[in-house]
Amino acid sequence: MTNAAYRRSQLESLVEAQGGCRATPPLLLSAGPYFDLAGEEFGRRLLLTTDVTGAEYCLRPDFTLPIVADYIANGAGEPAAFSYLGPIFRQRETGPAEFDQAGIELLAQPDGDIALDQVLTFARAALSLYGITPNVRLGGVGLFEALLAQADMPDAWRPRIRHRFGHTEAMDRLLSRLEQAPDLPRTEQPSRDELVEDVTARMVSAGLSLSEGRSPEEIADRYLEQQALDAAHVPAATLKLLRDFLAIKGDALTALREVEALADKHRLFLGPPMKAIRRHLDGLGEARITFDASFSPRLDYYTGIVFEMRGQGGTVLVSGGQYDRLLERLGATAPIAASGCALWVDRMEAEWPK
Amino acid sequence: MAQMTITLAVPSKGRLEELTRDWFARRGLTITRPGGARSYLGAIEGLPEVTVRFFPASEIARELIRGNIDLGVTGRDLIHETSEAGPDAVEFARDLEFGHADVVIAVPEAWIDVTHMHDLADVASDFRSRHGRWLRIATKYITITRQHFASAGIAEYRIVESLGATEAAPASGVADIVVDITSTGSTLAANGLRVLEDGVMLKSEANLIVSRTAQWTEQRRETLNALLGQLQG
Repeated sequence: MTNAAYRRSQLESLVEAQGGCRATPPLLLSAGPYFDLAGEEFGRRLLLTTDVTGAEYCLRPDFTLPIVADYIANGAGEPAAFSYLGPIFRQRETGPAEFDQAGIELLAQPDGDIALDQVLTFARAALSLYGITPNVRLGGVGLFEALLAQADMPDAWRPRIRHRFGHTEAMDRLLSRLEQAPDLPRTEQPSRDELVEDVTARMVSAGLSLSEGRSPEEIADRYLEQQALDAAHVPAATLKLLRDFLAIKGDALTALREVEALADKHRLFLGPPMKAIRRHLDGLGEARITFDASFSPRLDYYTGIVFEMRGQGGTVLVSGGQYDRLLERLGATAPIAASGCALWVDRMEAEWPK
Repeated sequence: MAQMTITLAVPSKGRLEELTRDWFARRGLTITRPGGARSYLGAIEGLPEVTVRFFPASEIARELIRGNIDLGVTGRDLIHETSEAGPDAVEFARDLEFGHADVVIAVPEAWIDVTHMHDLADVASDFRSRHGRWLRIATKYITITRQHFASAGIAEYRIVESLGATEAAPASGVADIVVDITSTGSTLAANGLRVLEDGVMLKSEANLIVSRTAQWTEQRRETLNALLGQLQG
């Protein structure tokens, strides 16, 4: 017997069998934490409502945030595993929609690589219930961070480039700007004290608070830093390295060899992140695996390795990875390893051969 | 007769109504409003197959996108703001050459280090770690702001909805910067705000707009084309 209800109950058993705690966060959640964590970009996908005071609530748009927030509230630190299966709600272009989502969250595990293996195994097992051999797309956030840390450039440019990782157009615009940076003769800069005084006067005359938002010192420092940046060119060879690296994509083994060749050429030491990616290739079995050096979710709490699994139609069925910075972003006082994935159950069901 | 009738929506009050009726009049079409300013139904003299309805400009945008009215006069900005799908749901048929204004991003003039969007991206990216909160943008243009910032690669900000006197938001401490509509920039400048050099998000004007989502039969299409034919340049 292979109907949709049967597959759903098989999935239910798989989720239950994950050896952790089955999480059932409320359907109605405070919207603030979502805006705080993911900004307006994710905010536009929420189904919002307000209470009598005007405070905003949303229908549960994902499981990760309430699970992790609850974990932190109960005193983070101990290794924990959570699994879930249930409805989430998002705005789409065609209107509001309800989806079934399943997934796991592995928190504070002693070995992040083993945890990620477990996540990948869970995702593969779930897909196989639906008869799906996925196309897996891997991305290396840790790899890019390692390359960026070693590449020859003025330090102030590193966070600016890191910030654009995962947004192809924004990264391209920044690299183009750096490539075209003209060698302007530098005019004499005013001193920091003069700048602070000038900015303070402007803020006072516009009625701006000197302490609430950006301070005169912050503005003056960034102004000077920017002037220094304009003078501090990123070497052309480094820009070429970044372009070449970000363009690497394709069959995982070939792509990783290209990364290694590039690292050799530029004398970069990328051993640990490369080793981490390679060890997960073995665990993925017969799935078709591609590596895309420019692939990363746009949220800066991702670390290590990220992945997507797609079906025949090319739609994303599973996405996940490692996000060791997430718990700190949500208020944990120390870094805590985290990895997990979310599965789009309705899309998986749609892949079942009719 | 009924099968060939189309609905034209005209802004229901103020300068916008006046300028719209002038624009039609210069092209030989007199819009009448028999019930006076409190009536919401009108007509065009000599064109019984066109029904005129008077609506607030923002409702015209919404109803055009939904296809509940066939064509109407409203601001281009309102089509973009009402829905992300708005521009695809309509056709901008005639620039009416009034109501020109730009939706712009403006920062405090004191922010001497921020002249372009890429500066704003840098400031936004570490704003939270410096100040314990997101960069706040006051605006009534929520949809346009979200779209524009997404394409600029800026995700680290919060919108504070502002329904009036947006330009005062930085001084009152409600927000750090603004997205606002301006024709000359003088209100912004008077409030100590400066438009970024690449900070024009949308150039807007009053436009005669045709709904793509309305039920267009061949007969109604003919009525529309005849009307548009009379409304050249």
